Amino acid sequence: MRAAAVDWRLAAPLGIVYLALFAAPLLLLLGISLHADQDLQQWGLDNWTKFWGDAFYRGVVWDTLRLGVAAVLVTSLFAWPLALFFCNASPRTQKVLIFIILLPLLTSVVIRTFAWIVILAREGLVNQVALALGLSATPLRLLQTETGLVLALMQIEMPLMLLPLISVMRGLDPNLLDASRALGAGMWRSFFRVILPLSLPGWIAGATLVFASACTAFISQSVIGGARLVYLPSLIWQQAMVVYDWPFAAVCSVTLLLTVLAGIMMLNWLGRYARTD
Amino acid sequence: MASRRLFLAGMAGVLAAPSIARASGSMTAAIYPGTWDEAYRAIVAPLLRQNHNVNVAFEPLFAVDQVAKVRAARGVAPFDCFVLDPGPAAAARQAGLFEQIDPKLITNAGNLPAGMLTADSATVNVQVVGICYNPKKFPEPPKSWADLFRSPYVERLGLTGFQTTFGTVSLIEMAKVFGGSTTNVEPIFAKLKEVLPKVAAVSTPAALPGLFQQGQIDIMYTNTNNAATLKGRGVDIAFVAPTEGAITFATTLHIVKGAENKANAHRYIDAALSADAQSKLQLSPFNMIPVNKDVQLAPNLDIKSLDELSKMVTHDWNVINPRRAGWIDRFNREITK
Repeated sequence: MRAAAVDWRLAAPLGIVYLALFAAPLLLLLGISLHADQDLQQWGLDNWTKFWGDAFYRGVVWDTLRLGVAAVLVTSLFAWPLALFFCNASPRTQKVLIFIILLPLLTSVVIRTFAWIVILAREGLVNQVALALGLSATPLRLLQTETGLVLALMQIEMPLMLLPLISVMRGLDPNLLDASRALGAGMWRSFFRVILPLSLPGWIAGATLVFASACTAFISQSVIGGARLVYLPSLIWQQAMVVYDWPFAAVCSVTLLLTVLAGIMMLNWLGRYARTD
Repeated sequence: MASRRLFLAGMAGVLAAPSIARASGSMTAAIYPGTWDEAYRAIVAPLLRQNHNVNVAFEPLFAVDQVAKVRAARGVAPFDCFVLDPGPAAAARQAGLFEQIDPKLITNAGNLPAGMLTADSATVNVQVVGICYNPKKFPEPPKSWADLFRSPYVERLGLTGFQTTFGTVSLIEMAKVFGGSTTNVEPIFAKLKEVLPKVAAVSTPAALPGLFQQGQIDIMYTNTNNAATLKGRGVDIAFVAPTEGAITFATTLHIVKGAENKANAHRYIDAALSADAQSKLQLSPFNMIPVNKDVQLAPNLDIKSLDELSKMVTHDWNVINPRRAGWIDRFNREITK
């Protein structure tokens, strides 16, 4: 009820800016995608049928979404334990931890991405260690693989997952965990039955951010993934800037927007089941 | 109060800035990001200010981005001068994005080899493309384009597709070695398919130098500028012209259709062509092969005289451009995992 009482005019300045600078270009983009020729003279759905009628492009959409899901899963796998550790740490340790968590956000994504080349390359850190320890006889292939890309995205996107997760988990009553343990639940059972459901709102916020930014991470995808892994963002760049096929690039863009949006809506829908009150 | 006044003064300055940049005695030139940006800021801009009291503002954009931006602006020139490779230049010419260049305003016109100053373009630098390799890893360098696809070279090769000028012309030359031509690149696609499981990397062009520096790849095809720049940073790299001949193409300056500062744009082109600028642009770390005949070639350039250029391989981009989109699409499909 209170939300409705707040004056709508408070949102007007930003609303108008969004309308002019975001909604209008988006409509233009949609308009361009509905043209049949590169000079934007004829209307038609030709580029839409070309895109969706081709197994290769459908595969690119699928790979892009799969990359987003993989990034979310791997990030979650590492974020939950870290968030748990954070919530149980002393305030002093928490300060150090929050600094380390925020550290990746303080450097540009380009630099972070190139740092991963140094780590994953044939003569990079990981391979030097693996060869020195005798874990592998020949250098492992990590750069330009999906595994390497997901690994790098995990580090690059980690703060986006950790921060919402920590802020929700810090608000949890520690007595709940004690109660669960006292009632005979083991560590894992307590995690899955108590902590996981209660921290779900934070996870959904984090997963939304990680999913959206991993799907659209143009720089990381092209530098670490290389040319053999084709995702929608690099396809858009190629079609718009090298080939000058704007209608087709617009189709790719609208597709990326809608599919990522669908993913986000699915996460939101999941949020309905996360109500704790 | 004082801080508020300062803030308002600052805001006024910010708002006034664009009009200052457009005042007489100024102009805006698009420039490639990286080496070109540094070089032209350091050498051409001071020369222009000193000789004509003209301030040039640079807008760092790759060739394709410049053309896309001018096309998107639809008649309102976002900057006065282009710097382009032959592919984007041919596309921009076809789209009618160039203003005519008045040769009477280019005082250095007489010092240029024939054909380098045309009705709408001025060549400021030539690029030479061939094979780069790590001499520590390969005392015996690959000799021909075909060698790149043989062991032990292919296992250390970094491939890049048709997105760049140097990538496109290199792949065309490789296609020729295997029986193709400028219009028929079928043989190189067949060869690529065969060697894909073996090559060290298939990369975006921008990531290639980094991969070479990190030892992910030891062989790539690129221009002498890139080789000299990496060498300047202490990377073990050497350039070799393939036996079929190195490839050359021109980097050209053009005046944008409807440019606001046409007179200054002519002065800018003239300054970039001057022996003064060209003799400095050829030195490390810029390593740009000069075109002004008055300039003595520096030893870091991998070519001895401008006469060598006439023996190198050149390409007709009016033939390449209409086919390129198809090649890019095919490269996407066939090399994707």
